[in-house]
Amino acid sequence: MQQENSVEKKLKEKIREVFDGFELVIGYSQSKIPLKVNPLFIKGKEEIDGLIFNKLCINNLATYSYALSNELKGKIGIVLKPCDARSVSQLISEELLNKDRVKSIVVGCAGILDYKKIYKEIGGLKIISADIKDEQIIIDTIDESFTLEAKNFYAGKCYSCKIYDNPPYYDEFIENESKLNIEQENEYEDVEKFEKLNLEEINAFWDLQFGKCIRCYACRNICPLEICRDKCIAQLDVPHWQSQKINSAEGKFFQLIRVFHLAGRCTECGECERVCPANIQIMKLMKKVNKDVLKLFNYRPGYNLDEKPPLLTFKNVEKNIKEEELI
Amino acid sequence: MENISETNKDINNKDINTNSRKNGVKIVAFLCNWCSYAGADSAGTSRLRQPEDIRIIRVPCSGRINPLFVLKALTQGADGVLVSGCHPNDCHYSDGNFYARRRLEILKEFLPVIGIDERRFSYQWVSASEGQKWQKVVINFVKRIREIQG
Repeated sequence: MQQENSVEKKLKEKIREVFDGFELVIGYSQSKIPLKVNPLFIKGKEEIDGLIFNKLCINNLATYSYALSNELKGKIGIVLKPCDARSVSQLISEELLNKDRVKSIVVGCAGILDYKKIYKEIGGLKIISADIKDEQIIIDTIDESFTLEAKNFYAGKCYSCKIYDNPPYYDEFIENESKLNIEQENEYEDVEKFEKLNLEEINAFWDLQFGKCIRCYACRNICPLEICRDKCIAQLDVPHWQSQKINSAEGKFFQLIRVFHLAGRCTECGECERVCPANIQIMKLMKKVNKDVLKLFNYRPGYNLDEKPPLLTFKNVEKNIKEEELI
Repeated sequence: MENISETNKDINNKDINTNSRKNGVKIVAFLCNWCSYAGADSAGTSRLRQPEDIRIIRVPCSGRINPLFVLKALTQGADGVLVSGCHPNDCHYSDGNFYARRRLEILKEFLPVIGIDERRFSYQWVSASEGQKWQKVVINFVKRIREIQG
């Protein structure tokens, strides 16, 4: 058990203070598995003590917001990182969530460690205990122990994060004394690099990636913005968009369904890539569309409650669209 | 009439083979019921020669076209996909093609990232009276797809 840090203390205080109005508060709790955390569903005041908030809280709890707000009648509070707050903000701007019933308790973020990257680094050895001290991760496995520099193991989105202590949307904001302190990269650098490959290389890359896809639908089910679930066209019989065959073409097409459902909506929380059991690099596709949406419509999902998602609206004259002439 | 026969001569000069059985490609075209489908019809009734590589699917409006229609066609063996609707501001349902324009532009930008040549897809605006424009669009698009196919 790690020591309580000052943010956790402030978070618990805040939740105790406002808890009476809520039917449910969702936060993070300690997991028995090292380097992971569990979601915690707080229904009574005594459960607040189980709350934690640290660099391992990678889950985007906004995922629960839509389903639970339909199921429950009362108010719901959700503990969010600033980047996760974008997902809630996007859902509210699409009128899928009621602003008065879903309250975001946003906690300032000092960067989130990606356990998948750490597992890869230590070669999948079984971890007995893990400890995070400042900028170092100390990991004990059965055979050996590792000391890793934290700056190499943050989640992909942290390297271009500009909102760690300045969330675009919140009902309650709890400041974090420790701040994100890593070298910042260009937001769409990896996509730009990928786009420069030629078509054969790209095809070979995706064939390999989607050859691994077993279509478990984890990417869809974890996504905070994909609220279709039962109505997903991938599982319809009429029209029969997808067969049940497992191959790279079907896996790819399923991702394309996701991409176009999320076009102009994806808040790049990276959950789909995190939960993928086959480690498929899905975020490349999502980021590419977001890059184009930014370029064409100057829109970033989840930043502004009043702005309509670009594909749900239009302008008579589109300045940035150059239509192709075939005559 | 002079104009039309000139374009017809043009086809022969540029050696565009209108017979798709010889070196044909498969192109799926989604045309809106109110403008482009009527435009293609008028091209037919005025006997403008066109390559036969195009299979036309009539849809109520270009706004009906889900980008996934295009992707499904392209991933299932179509060599090219052409989408055509009313000119902006002329939509029968007043704003269907404005929505379509945004979606299809995103789609066009997106295609290379999944390994599809973006020249295999195009969206055009052809009105009911533009039979000649339709002919030109078809000829140029088929030519382009044949070049890609090699």
